[in-house]
Amino acid sequence: MAEEIKADKSMDLKGLPCPMPVVKISKGIKDVAVGEVVMCETSDPGALADFPAWAKTSGNEILQTVQEGNTVKFYIKRKV
Amino acid sequence: MDEQTRQDLLKLFESKLNQAMRLYLETCSRCGVCTQACHVYASMPQAKYIAAYRAEIVRRIYKKYFKKQGELMPSLGESKSLTDMALTELYEAAYSCTGCRRCMVYCPFGIDTQMIMSIAKLLLVGAHAEPEILTMLADTSIAKGESLDIFREGFLASVKNLEAQVVEKWKAEAGETVIPVDKEGADLLYVALAGAHSIIPAAAVFNAAKENWTLSFFEAVNFGAFVGDPSRTKLILNRIVGEALRLKVKEVCICECGTAFRVMKQLSGKQPFKVSSVTEVHARYLREGRIKLDKSRNPEPVTYHDPCQIARNAGIIDEPRYILKHLVQDYRELAPEPIYNWCCGGGGGLVALGEDTLDFRMKSAKVKAEQIKKTGAKTVCTACENCHTQLSDLSAHYQLGTEVKFLTSMVADSLVK
Repeated sequence: MAEEIKADKSMDLKGLPCPMPVVKISKGIKDVAVGEVVMCETSDPGALADFPAWAKTSGNEILQTVQEGNTVKFYIKRKV
Repeated sequence: MDEQTRQDLLKLFESKLNQAMRLYLETCSRCGVCTQACHVYASMPQAKYIAAYRAEIVRRIYKKYFKKQGELMPSLGESKSLTDMALTELYEAAYSCTGCRRCMVYCPFGIDTQMIMSIAKLLLVGAHAEPEILTMLADTSIAKGESLDIFREGFLASVKNLEAQVVEKWKAEAGETVIPVDKEGADLLYVALAGAHSIIPAAAVFNAAKENWTLSFFEAVNFGAFVGDPSRTKLILNRIVGEALRLKVKEVCICECGTAFRVMKQLSGKQPFKVSSVTEVHARYLREGRIKLDKSRNPEPVTYHDPCQIARNAGIIDEPRYILKHLVQDYRELAPEPIYNWCCGGGGGLVALGEDTLDFRMKSAKVKAEQIKKTGAKTVCTACENCHTQLSDLSAHYQLGTEVKFLTSMVADSLVK
């Protein structure tokens, strides 16, 4: 099992309506400094596609994705 | 604003000037009929929220640069220069309009203010002055279309996790795939939103109706349309069109998302598949006896909010009422004529802008809250994610005591063998 990454900020995005998970992470990542990590937890099946696509367009990096049942944790490093 | 930017923006303006647009820009007689038609003005009576006022900002720029009168005698022609100040006014006009087109059905000339606002939105995109969240969401959707291989396995695993919840609503037959994905030769491609709530109940109903269906990899919503960017709108749309063609489906069924349905229905062009809303499909299943519903599960008074993009702007009005006739015991209309129903106040990208627009959305939809309260309904159901979010916010803000539900969820929860 991969070692859990230490996050500088955590966000609970479970159960939010479309497109709030991506909107919230897009704003939330600006609360940490470049190089720091945000952990966010979602329950959207589409998040597994949305978050990598958002990271690609925004220039941030998903360090780790952890699927646990119906929830997914993303560890995202602010790069820009 | 420098001259080059102005010229670039005027080229964008000109790209929108088809025959219908010119008619809308040249016809207004300022009769004022549209004044009370706008839910924003009816809730917050200020001149800037009159539909004709919003359109007039665009109209005056049109007169200045595209009519001889504005060019030769600008002071007489009520023309307006395209400046940074004008862009600020265009922003306020475009993002205080939800594109519901209620003003259009009242206008004696049928002037489409939403279409005029599409010029305002395009100019804002051209000037990089649009809400950046909407462009970011549109670009995320486009990136998904370009990177299917990256998320394919994760998406499939995630969908697999939902199967037990689908089976709770409708037991799967032996050998049946509960949520088929990427199934070539399926009759129907269902395009959902990212959330489980958009997939689970719909899957249960498709399985109950024994539909030969498959779930799309892509989410239905088109943020390119919200932000008013035709290029991005097309790129997002093309992902679904490409998938439908690859799988050779006969029908693309759009989930409960008003803009997604209108864009797919009206902008996908001539294709070898038909486009339906999930509400149309459920009404069809009922008519054909493919599903049956138990009314006794819904004894409380229920009203239905017509999403503007599905009803007024795309004509799906009878189908939800046909479903409700089979679904609930005490149905109450919000408006005597659904085509004149008030907008929920969340369209045009306002809900997607989240908390930034919450105060405006609540104040500008006071008339909607009052309309719901008058019905005495305990449940408001609807067929659009934006409307659902906005109506839930309204219920909390105005303490309406109503529960907001998706029509598809109510159908799935009332299925009988």
